[in-house]
Amino acid sequence: MLAALVAFSIIVIAVGADLIAPFDSNNPASANVVDARLPPGSTALTGGHYIFGTDPQGRDMLSAIIYGLRTSLLVGFGSVALAAYAGTILGLLSGYRGGLLDALVMRIADVQLSFPTILMALLIDGVTRTVLPRETHDILAIPVLIAAISASYWVQYARTIRGLVLVEREKEYVLAAKVTGVSPLRIIMTHIWPNVMGPMLVIATVNLALAILTEATLSFLGIGLPPTKPSLGSLIRIGNEYLLSGDWWISIFPGATLVALSLSVNLFGDWLRDALNPKLVDT
Amino acid sequence: MGRFILKRLFETILVVITAALACFVLLRYVGDPVNNMLGQAATIEQRETMRRALGLEDPVFTQFLGFLGQVLSGNLGVSYRFSTPVARLLLDRLPATLELSLCAMLMAILLGVPLGVWTALHRRTVMSELVLIASLVGVALPTFLIGIILILIFSVWLAWLPAFGRGATIAIGGGWTTGLLTASGLKSLILPSLTLGLFQMTLIMRLVRAEMLEVLRTDYIKFARARGLKNTTINYDHALRNAFIPVMTIIGLQFGNVFAFSIIVETVFQWPGLGLLVIQSIQFADAPLLAAYLVLIALGFALINLAVDLMYAVVDPRVRGGAAFAPRSAA
Repeated sequence: MLAALVAFSIIVIAVGADLIAPFDSNNPASANVVDARLPPGSTALTGGHYIFGTDPQGRDMLSAIIYGLRTSLLVGFGSVALAAYAGTILGLLSGYRGGLLDALVMRIADVQLSFPTILMALLIDGVTRTVLPRETHDILAIPVLIAAISASYWVQYARTIRGLVLVEREKEYVLAAKVTGVSPLRIIMTHIWPNVMGPMLVIATVNLALAILTEATLSFLGIGLPPTKPSLGSLIRIGNEYLLSGDWWISIFPGATLVALSLSVNLFGDWLRDALNPKLVDT
Repeated sequence: MGRFILKRLFETILVVITAALACFVLLRYVGDPVNNMLGQAATIEQRETMRRALGLEDPVFTQFLGFLGQVLSGNLGVSYRFSTPVARLLLDRLPATLELSLCAMLMAILLGVPLGVWTALHRRTVMSELVLIASLVGVALPTFLIGIILILIFSVWLAWLPAFGRGATIAIGGGWTTGLLTASGLKSLILPSLTLGLFQMTLIMRLVRAEMLEVLRTDYIKFARARGLKNTTINYDHALRNAFIPVMTIIGLQFGNVFAFSIIVETVFQWPGLGLLVIQSIQFADAPLLAAYLVLIALGFALINLAVDLMYAVVDPRVRGGAAFAPRSAA
């Protein structure tokens, strides 16, 4: 439960970034280049304290981390939502209908599963960026990133839900509904979907942690978010160049935040799975 | 069996052709190849001649077949950024990545297996619990963060090991450059392999521990103890050997993951391998390099999976399907 508290407080902090952050990261005027690369605890030129130090451009690390959390969470939630949506629909349809659609979707899923997910997200993102004209890179960075990450993670949803649908659709209440003449769409929405929702939520929570880590990794590699929209990954990337001169705070504080976030989401997912378990047990 | 092989082979070819198609589209529609080659100042006649020479006037299907022919004959195009043939670039960087991946895997196995056995044999001790908790670190921290922390500790604060690059390398015949024969090369290899191998090591350790615990509960181990065999014989000759089979399968399957994560590690440590090359090609929109890398990755993974599936089919008759595994009656 502590994990849930930590996770939720992080989310609240990120959403309320504008109110909580001591300096406004989005306002370039708040970044004082004179204050660049100050260690944690230093005083700012304009008064106030840099609790976590500053980065090479003079931005306060704490504020940058809070704003970065917001972007990271946005991409994380966005990609989980998209992957869950697409994967669930495909899983429901291919499980209920069977036939050619089922064979096709499962084949594609099998092939995709043989590739590591990081590699898939990396390649999809990289190829899309290469194809898009340079001016649109910054504007489309977030949607492209969300699309790339969801494209690598949809398979889990589709497979699990298809398996569950295959079990559910043979049950008597579904057969009864079919015999009574209920349309297939209604059957899926009112009968099958509620029973499938639980496992989907569990997968989604675990997936959230993975999506956040994937986004951080891609931003760290330089092919995720542009420098104008800082996220935890790109903050760590900036810090990487200054490691050798001993400015450790630029990398370590965003890194610690990232670890805290992913651990708390993971633990929350574990708790959720245990909590939902009795309802998942089939009689 | 024959049907199974044919089906898998067909799927493999389909995957590779799809990847090649994606690359072909990538190459054709990213910028203008004629512009890239001739520059802005070329006249219209020069462009027309170039277009015909490159075959850009032909129907798309013919172009695609030509592209496939080129790839199969080893001509993967010329990189926009480096102005050298792509095949040459890839081959030059391959030894670095292979050395790193193999070292990481070796480190993971050499550290993971003994630790797994040890924690299985000494189950309830404090040390064993500590090792298990420490192994959570390998799982919780993302790879690049582990690399950064290691650089901080060993290169910045202690100044024991170099933080980037490969050190001095020696070329040994056939174009292979190795860092294993020089002191600085070996020193540069330690941190990256540790970073890359840490996750695999925790995985292997937990796996070996779980399998050992499972095997140690079986009847034949109890019988061996009852017979009075020495503990070392029981633990190593019998238990470990049987526990090792699933571990070997997992190790084989993890090679793909190691390759993917090597891209991250190469970026953190500026290791001049394939991973760093592909990251740079994305950043500089170097389409020929990216396309060639895509095709090779698709081919590599498809072949590995084909090999693994065929191996399973040989070992386990149930996978082949068909009449070979018809249920038998109790009589």
